[in-house]
Amino acid sequence: MSQIETLGILEEIEVLVSDKLQVVSYKWLSRNFLVSSNAAKRLLQEFVKTRGSGVEVVYTLSGWLKNSPSSYHIRLVSGPKLEEAKQEFDGNCSVQVYSVQACIPKDPAALWNAEFVQAEDLFKQSFTVDNCLRDNRFCGILNSFVRHNVDGTTASNAAPQPKSVEIPVPLKSNSVCQNVPPSQQTKVQQSPKVGPQSPNLVKDVKSESNGAGVHDLAAKETADGEKFSLLAANKKIGQSDKTSSGNGGSLANLWGRASAKSKPSSAEADNNKHIPNPTVSAEAQISACEAIEDGSSGDEAQDVNFKRASNGDSSRKRRVVLDYSDDEYEDAVNLASPELPKGQSSKTLVLEKPQVNKQAEDKPVIEVEKSTKGASNQLLREDSSVGKSIDSNTSSLEKIQSNITSSDFKKDTAAGAAPNSPKRRKVLKTRIDERGREVTEVVWEGEETQTKKAETADSKKRAENNAVTNTANNRAPASKKSPATGNAGPSNPGSKAGNKKGGNKDPKQGNILSFFKRRASQDYCSFRIYSLSLQMKQIRKTLQKRISERKLNIIE
Amino acid sequence: MLELRLVQGSLLKKVLESIKDLVNDANFDCSSTGFSLQAMDSSHVALVALLLRSEGFEHYRCDRNMSMGMNLGNMSKMLKCAGNDDIITIKGDDGSDTVTFMFESPTQDKIADFEMKLMDIDSEHLGIPEAEYHAIVRMPSAEFARICKDLASIGDTVVISVTKEGVKFSTRGDIGTANIVLRQNTTVDKPEDATVIEMNEPVSLTFALRYMNSFTKATPLSNTVTISLSSDLPVVVEYKIAEMGYVRFYLAPKIEEDEDETKPET
Repeated sequence: MSQIETLGILEEIEVLVSDKLQVVSYKWLSRNFLVSSNAAKRLLQEFVKTRGSGVEVVYTLSGWLKNSPSSYHIRLVSGPKLEEAKQEFDGNCSVQVYSVQACIPKDPAALWNAEFVQAEDLFKQSFTVDNCLRDNRFCGILNSFVRHNVDGTTASNAAPQPKSVEIPVPLKSNSVCQNVPPSQQTKVQQSPKVGPQSPNLVKDVKSESNGAGVHDLAAKETADGEKFSLLAANKKIGQSDKTSSGNGGSLANLWGRASAKSKPSSAEADNNKHIPNPTVSAEAQISACEAIEDGSSGDEAQDVNFKRASNGDSSRKRRVVLDYSDDEYEDAVNLASPELPKGQSSKTLVLEKPQVNKQAEDKPVIEVEKSTKGASNQLLREDSSVGKSIDSNTSSLEKIQSNITSSDFKKDTAAGAAPNSPKRRKVLKTRIDERGREVTEVVWEGEETQTKKAETADSKKRAENNAVTNTANNRAPASKKSPATGNAGPSNPGSKAGNKKGGNKDPKQGNILSFFKRRASQDYCSFRIYSLSLQMKQIRKTLQKRISERKLNIIE
Repeated sequence: MLELRLVQGSLLKKVLESIKDLVNDANFDCSSTGFSLQAMDSSHVALVALLLRSEGFEHYRCDRNMSMGMNLGNMSKMLKCAGNDDIITIKGDDGSDTVTFMFESPTQDKIADFEMKLMDIDSEHLGIPEAEYHAIVRMPSAEFARICKDLASIGDTVVISVTKEGVKFSTRGDIGTANIVLRQNTTVDKPEDATVIEMNEPVSLTFALRYMNSFTKATPLSNTVTISLSSDLPVVVEYKIAEMGYVRFYLAPKIEEDEDETKPET
């Protein structure tokens, strides 16, 4: 084990013991960090050595007792009683660190609690998931001929499979351990027939755009009947995902960017596994896979997916159809999308060809767009008949923010956007293209388009935040939002780190809010829950005390 | 009821000095774990997270989780009245709108009480998950402060790049450019003088020096500073507070003009 890794674990132990007040036993450590139990014991030993004074240590003593019918004995002893206990053993006994904790718990069962919960979690995982308890990998007794058979496939096939899935695990902390299984689980739910494919494929599908593109195709072909399957799939995922993210630690959920590399790859691995299988209809599979991806990033993403499923019902209003007389580059653009390339300093929001290219897979996008075009055009017409000044399609963001009717909204934008700076303003240009469709474009006129865009991005983000405080992270919804409008958003995932600029003066300065999600209400809740749990503990303790007292009385 | 007794009162003074320029008002949260604070600066570019664990206090009593809104400038004014060797006790009552700072001189012959009004602060708590960083640099805090100060006289922004060779701080201004490279150096007499670079991936990020410089106000708190960088995350500048906790500063990176082109889309 490399020095650095060890240091990392030691620090982690420190946090667990001193901040979370958890009992860290060697078993727990071994399972959590996927080290052998001997290594875990050594780690604890080292931890005790370096931080001996601050923590309470429980040792395991094992050896022959001095009593006349000499028997082999294993005993847990707390630090101060160690020497005394050693005397009871005959000759040499082995002394190992069993656990470290902030204080010796009154109830000895508490020593064992953390690892019991952990073991239960591991056993509760789906049968297809291989974990350290199932394959017994840290056991001292190994038989190389016996292999753990995952998923009922042939042994030769199954053996390498779990490894490929779990490769990232040793690098990360426990949260990832819990993370990997859900996607697997969902896979099972979606299509139990699918057997694991060669894990090598995982690397082939690194780019998210791949998956998105496929999905767009699927969306195009999605007939009415299939919408239901889509919805159903999403719901299913939603449920299963919620339960799995319930244990809180999911790093990826909180911190979309950080895990962007590890997590989607596992999801996409699934993606690939499904596609070649002919037994399940392609659409259902793909949508399921997409849903896995989306679902993993939280509720918001699912919302979006619903929207997409009912293609054009709710999302239609947020569209601006930008028509290039050339059919090839028709595209639907969500104005509020923060994905706008920041390099684009032109004064209009009209997308240029290169940008469309950059968003990858134009083809499917275009086709999706086509399917909804008729409807959105109609909508445009309606709007312009209400009053041609400003189109309600122009910016979805204010809409989200205020949830008001389009006429209200018009006042909003007219009053809100214009006075901000006299130099730039939103101008609406409506024209009839040669197909006879009415096309409305929003054009920024003025010089400081850059800053303005930043502001829109920012306010949109805020709107999202307000609407869904639970979103997994700021980033994900932003990029997932765009697919709702048929824009191949996911092909452009969080690569532009701080694209959302703050409302501060420097347009280049990133905003911390685009990295951390707000959790005011949650925090309050967790505070409440925490104090309640403390009270519960207290009550339980007193109850236990009373019970034991009564027992004593009865015995006497 | 809240009663926190901190023997090393100067610690609290230093903590306040380090954050009061960045944040005007903030909520201090007290729970059984410790005394903590999380606040953003007014432009929402930087974030401070402070933790003083309960074990670090000589006496720590917190019956109920409490959140106390304080004006850090005023709090700092009061704490300045405490001597460097004084023992500081923070007292608060449930439902009360004041907090009391009590300063005892080490010889116990002088006791001062300062009562400060609390305020209602609508602060947003942000969830800051643990993340793996591409590169972690640990270096003497004074060295870091020096670099930030020097570079600030030349440019407004600093580009921090970590490669196998070491960590490079560079800036560019009207008068010219500056580059400071630090190499890993663990062969020193004192461990706190070491510069340790743990790198999984090379990273290069741009930050406003103005903020970096205000972070370095925490230099008196610790001999070393840890800078954690990831290309898609805010930088974390952490000062450990001896045996007690930490002050962490998070700073959102500046967006580089050419970053988008050079970065492959994955």
